[in-house]
Amino acid sequence: MTRPSDLLGRLLACLGGALVVALMWGPQEGNFGDFWFAINQSIFRPRVLVFLALGVVVFLAMTFWPKVIPYLTRPGVWPLAAGTLTVIASQTLMHWADQLGDAKFGTVASAVADTNGISPVASAFFGGLCWAQLVVIILLVGTAVIGGLRNFGWAAAALSVVAAVIAYLAHAAVADKARYLGPDHSLGVYVCIIGYLVLLVAGLVTAMSHQQVANTRLAVNRALGWRPGLPLVVIGAVLGIIAMASSTWFSPANLNSTLADTRSRFRGTGLAPIAVQYLAWLGWALLAVSVVLSGVASYRRIRPLGWAGAAVGWLGVLLTVLTLYRISDLGADKGQDAATGPWQNLGAGGWMACAALFLIGSGGYIAAIAPRYAERTAETDSDAVASGRSASSAFLTAPGAARSGIMIAIAVALFYPPTANGFWQSVLVSEIGIYVLLAVGLNVVVGWAGLLDLGFIAFYAIGSYTTAYLVGSLPVKPPSWLQMSPLLAIPFAVLICLLAGLALGAPTLRLRGDYLAIVTLGFGEIIRIVAVNADQVTNGSQGPSTQVPHPVIDLGPVSITWGLNQLQYWYLLLVFVLVVLLAFRRLEDSRIGRSWAAIREDEVAAQATGINTFRVKLLAFAIGASTSGVAGVFFASQVGFFTPDNFVLNNSILVVAYVVFGGMGSLPGAIAGAALLTWMPEFLKDQVPAADRQMWIGAVVLAMMIFRPGGLLPARRRAVELAGLQPRSTRLEPVAVPAGEGM
Amino acid sequence: MTSTLNDSATSEHPITGGGDTVFDVRDVTLRFGGVTSLNNVSLQMYRGEILAVIGPNGAGKTSLFNSLTGVYTPQEGSIEVRARAGDSPTSVIGLKTHVVNRLGVARTFQNIRLFPALTALENVKVGIETRQKAGPISAMLGLPRQRREERESTEAAYQLLHRVGLERRANDIAGSLAYGEQRRLEIARALGTSPGVILLDEPAAGTNPVEKRELATLIQSINVDDGVSVLLIEHDMKLVMSIAHRIIVLNFGQKIAEGTPEQIQRNPEVVAAYLGTPADEVADLDLSQPELHRIDTGVSLDELVGQSSEAEHGATEHDGGTPR
Amino acid sequence: MNYLILGLTRGSMYALIALGYTLVYGVLQLINFAHSEVFMSGAFGSYAIVHLLVGDGKATPSWAVPFILIAGIVSGALTAAVIAWGLERVAYRPLRKRGAPKLAFLISAIGASFFLSQLAGKLFGRLTSNSFPAFWEQNAVVFKPFGAEVRILQLVIIVSAVAMMIFLDRLVSVTKLGRSIRAISEDAPTAALMGIDIDKTISRTFVIGGLLGGAAGFLFGLNFSFGNTMGFIPGVKAFAAAVLGGIGNIRGAMIGGLLLGIVENLVPVVNIDTRWTDVVAFVVLVLVLMFRPTGILGERLGRAA
Repeated sequence: MTRPSDLLGRLLACLGGALVVALMWGPQEGNFGDFWFAINQSIFRPRVLVFLALGVVVFLAMTFWPKVIPYLTRPGVWPLAAGTLTVIASQTLMHWADQLGDAKFGTVASAVADTNGISPVASAFFGGLCWAQLVVIILLVGTAVIGGLRNFGWAAAALSVVAAVIAYLAHAAVADKARYLGPDHSLGVYVCIIGYLVLLVAGLVTAMSHQQVANTRLAVNRALGWRPGLPLVVIGAVLGIIAMASSTWFSPANLNSTLADTRSRFRGTGLAPIAVQYLAWLGWALLAVSVVLSGVASYRRIRPLGWAGAAVGWLGVLLTVLTLYRISDLGADKGQDAATGPWQNLGAGGWMACAALFLIGSGGYIAAIAPRYAERTAETDSDAVASGRSASSAFLTAPGAARSGIMIAIAVALFYPPTANGFWQSVLVSEIGIYVLLAVGLNVVVGWAGLLDLGFIAFYAIGSYTTAYLVGSLPVKPPSWLQMSPLLAIPFAVLICLLAGLALGAPTLRLRGDYLAIVTLGFGEIIRIVAVNADQVTNGSQGPSTQVPHPVIDLGPVSITWGLNQLQYWYLLLVFVLVVLLAFRRLEDSRIGRSWAAIREDEVAAQATGINTFRVKLLAFAIGASTSGVAGVFFASQVGFFTPDNFVLNNSILVVAYVVFGGMGSLPGAIAGAALLTWMPEFLKDQVPAADRQMWIGAVVLAMMIFRPGGLLPARRRAVELAGLQPRSTRLEPVAVPAGEGM
Repeated sequence: MTSTLNDSATSEHPITGGGDTVFDVRDVTLRFGGVTSLNNVSLQMYRGEILAVIGPNGAGKTSLFNSLTGVYTPQEGSIEVRARAGDSPTSVIGLKTHVVNRLGVARTFQNIRLFPALTALENVKVGIETRQKAGPISAMLGLPRQRREERESTEAAYQLLHRVGLERRANDIAGSLAYGEQRRLEIARALGTSPGVILLDEPAAGTNPVEKRELATLIQSINVDDGVSVLLIEHDMKLVMSIAHRIIVLNFGQKIAEGTPEQIQRNPEVVAAYLGTPADEVADLDLSQPELHRIDTGVSLDELVGQSSEAEHGATEHDGGTPR
Repeated sequence: MNYLILGLTRGSMYALIALGYTLVYGVLQLINFAHSEVFMSGAFGSYAIVHLLVGDGKATPSWAVPFILIAGIVSGALTAAVIAWGLERVAYRPLRKRGAPKLAFLISAIGASFFLSQLAGKLFGRLTSNSFPAFWEQNAVVFKPFGAEVRILQLVIIVSAVAMMIFLDRLVSVTKLGRSIRAISEDAPTAALMGIDIDKTISRTFVIGGLLGGAAGFLFGLNFSFGNTMGFIPGVKAFAAAVLGGIGNIRGAMIGGLLLGIVENLVPVVNIDTRWTDVVAFVVLVLVLMFRPTGILGERLGRAA
């Protein structure tokens, strides 16, 4: 079996890994004054011992892996692990009440312990019930998995729901108690609830597992595919009830008013009738009607009813938004809390209701169109069975599941930002949104055409500087007839980036992979150095001399001025991202997308099939570059001032990392990768010393590539390459390589 | 069965020297460093014929294919192609591979080169779509023209898959197909580019006898029904003898013989090339088809069958496994 | 002339680092993006030893200087070799076993690079310009050929770099390990069929690259300064040098490194502002690749010997 030397190596690896993790966890250590002192200081610490002990545990686990593995593949184990980790993370890392300053779980817990008259639920939860219920759930699911006792699974599922409700109530009590201190935007409780919901899945999967449902994936797929659209309706219903029953709708002067409170606040203030009706009964009615319509439609698979549910739900979103506008507008008119215009002082409740109604409507929509593609999937399923492929190869293969995922993503993108605080809003726009656009653009080059471009940020820079030029912010002024608003600069920036892409691509694309990488890298650096050094043109390292103005749209009746807050940019960006995504989705499934896949897979064969590989590559380059140019325009007009430092080589490399981390060649992957990896530094800022962020990100990226080389959401075409079906090595010469001796 | 096919095919395609040439290769020499892989080779391929190129391993057959399709540029000589009837002769020398393909020359590869991560259908569509016009803008906007072309290519691709008997595998990943299926898919992809001549590089390698018979039928149907001239490299003498109208024999980069299958079978030089003995010593050996076959592959037919079905089996087993 | 000497000095350090890129590229056809951190770790490791030996350096007797230099080179090389070995085990081998796409390796290396450089910063401080203790008169001019001033440190750098390159060249052309490396770079599957242990050879290739990179790290730190982010720019330059010479080609990396160092230092000579040094370097690179798409000496480790 295992040789002693292997065991020793494994032990050393575990201990070494534990040491590294321990070092990562520690505070900033010494300096060069005394090098060895620094080493001593970081190594001889008690926490290092703890981690070394953990290393030994991991070693033992690995050594007895073969005995453990059968249990790991049993249904419910992975969600159990994921849920447990999520709950623990929420209770160790996340903020639970923003009003209390540094409001991590422990702080809140001690504050609760010192507070008199808080609800017993809260004091129990923060006093240890949180851990107790987690442990009990783990024990229940564990027993169910190991002993095959399904009833324990049901119990765990029930307990998870109870635990989630307790967490919610406890947090609500604390937030209510502390509301005079300020608004609460903490996420801890929500992450905790998500963790419990995953544990709920663990319990249910264990409880319902039987022969056909051999693992969690199958179980989840089955559950999702059982009634397309129903999961969304359920989520929406729960969210809607929370929003309407207990969330804050209007919070001037930190007075958190729920739906009912808001209604009484605005009684007799001349609020528009539709808003009054909404607050009184229409909101609840919309929720109820849409839930019933969409729910029944998906359960009984009645398509027309699904459309009706979609109509009511989506109409409800519009009405909710209108109501929110009316409330906040009136509030601002009355001069409360220095509100300068509509949309201010709104709580999260209204937006949650929007999201809920949107999801319910989407559930109806999915139910309405479900039968059509249920047939299609049934057909491909039989094909899959015929060819021996397993249908369980991925999550979200159930009919409607992918669509549900997209709908949830849209709901979050639409309705989360208004509830976020200013900091996160600006992160959403200037980090997440723009880098998502960049990643989607680079995905064309790297993911689809398979060309490694390490100077992608150069096009972004060109886009930004083009904008700065066209709005007259550079030392070099455009002719007066050309000077324009940033939004109008988009086509010009796209054009210039396109030309730059062609100019770079034309001479270099004949180079093979790694040569291309270094040449593009050099190009990126050249652009940046030119920006730094060409003082007369670019104002050098200072960046544009005057601020790039915010865009304005003035079409008579419709007049929008950007720059009042980040949300405007967010929604503008969202529109662009959606347009780009739709266009690229089509492109991927067109002859051009297939040509890219072909040259990536086998360039010689692609040529022999008549593909002009050079032109196709150049096209990928140009399309990627122009997307990047659009991002550049946004960046320039959003930040106003920028410097060449925004376009350093590191950023190019990071964008490549986003694309690969998310899953090369997959649009959702590129989005998820960019969003996650741009979100993470901002998130980690509060959790680890700020200077260590890059280290943690490096570790996360490394771990992802080791354990999931295809990335977060691998593309179908790429997933195949990963699954080892690439037949070039052994399978091609079955006669030449005797069975079993293939590499 | 094969012999009857042979007879009928031959009668339909009288081999004449004065016909319309598809390829006119004159004095082509191709060298790699010090190695001469084609030495002063001249040959004519006539429209509508199935021309087989045979020869021992390393004789320069694949080099010839690569020269004909623009992958290699010969140092000397000329190659002119008139792939489709009515084309004016065009020199291949110095042209890029994809340009040659557009002139109507399609090919398959000795070591199958599909796009393994695309489905079978998509593989064929790639071939068809190189003849389409819709650009990126219409693709992104989903313009009617794009949709029409998409529909057309899908239909055409299904028809081609049907021709090669793969319509049931249309939505399977090409890399997961069995060996013989991959060979046929490659032919379908080549046909997708609507060629005037198709170059098949060992299409029967690694296939079992049943598949070989189907392949022979397929090649003949391509030749007769589609009017596509076929240039074939093949080691399986039985297949070659049964479907080729003419055969050219290469050895050490030189053309050593040319003629009908019957003539080739009786050509002492050819036999010598295969056996590695001087021509006069083997002049009076009796050369029946099976024997040639045996000499060529070095294994008996039974062994070959056993091996390929084994390989087939192994491949299927591999596919059946659940992806990680 | 002075610029030429400066160029040779810098170029020989580039060459040493470039060898690490080229060796790994030879066996794996991958750019080892974390090699810059291997280089960095060499400077750190040698600093620890040199610091231990000489303290603040004021009381170092002159007879000890050569030994300290050797100790610095050796400790830097060994530290970097250990890091390079670990890197292969952690960031490359698991991916190789899973048959990951090429870019996944690149990204895992980038992750490792971020991680290593920041971990070093966390443990040893984030100053970017630390310098070695002044234990010798490293700027003493030893001789003046053609009016140029050759400083002793420059001499040490050039001589030791050349010595190591010759050693590597011999290693790759005559030893069994060298043959394995060349065989794998020609055709890994066949090499494996011939009984070459691919894993072991790749691991050793990383170690050799690490040895050279670590030595370069020490020399670089001695000549300029060092810190946890020191690796990035020389890393990129050395990568460019490797490509310039023809990536995968050992002698190409040497020539590329020297050439790049000289070109960079000749920029002021031809009356170009030094701000444009990097631009000139990259333009030269692009021009070379335009005319020789596989670098000056073409590809393949195998043809080096």
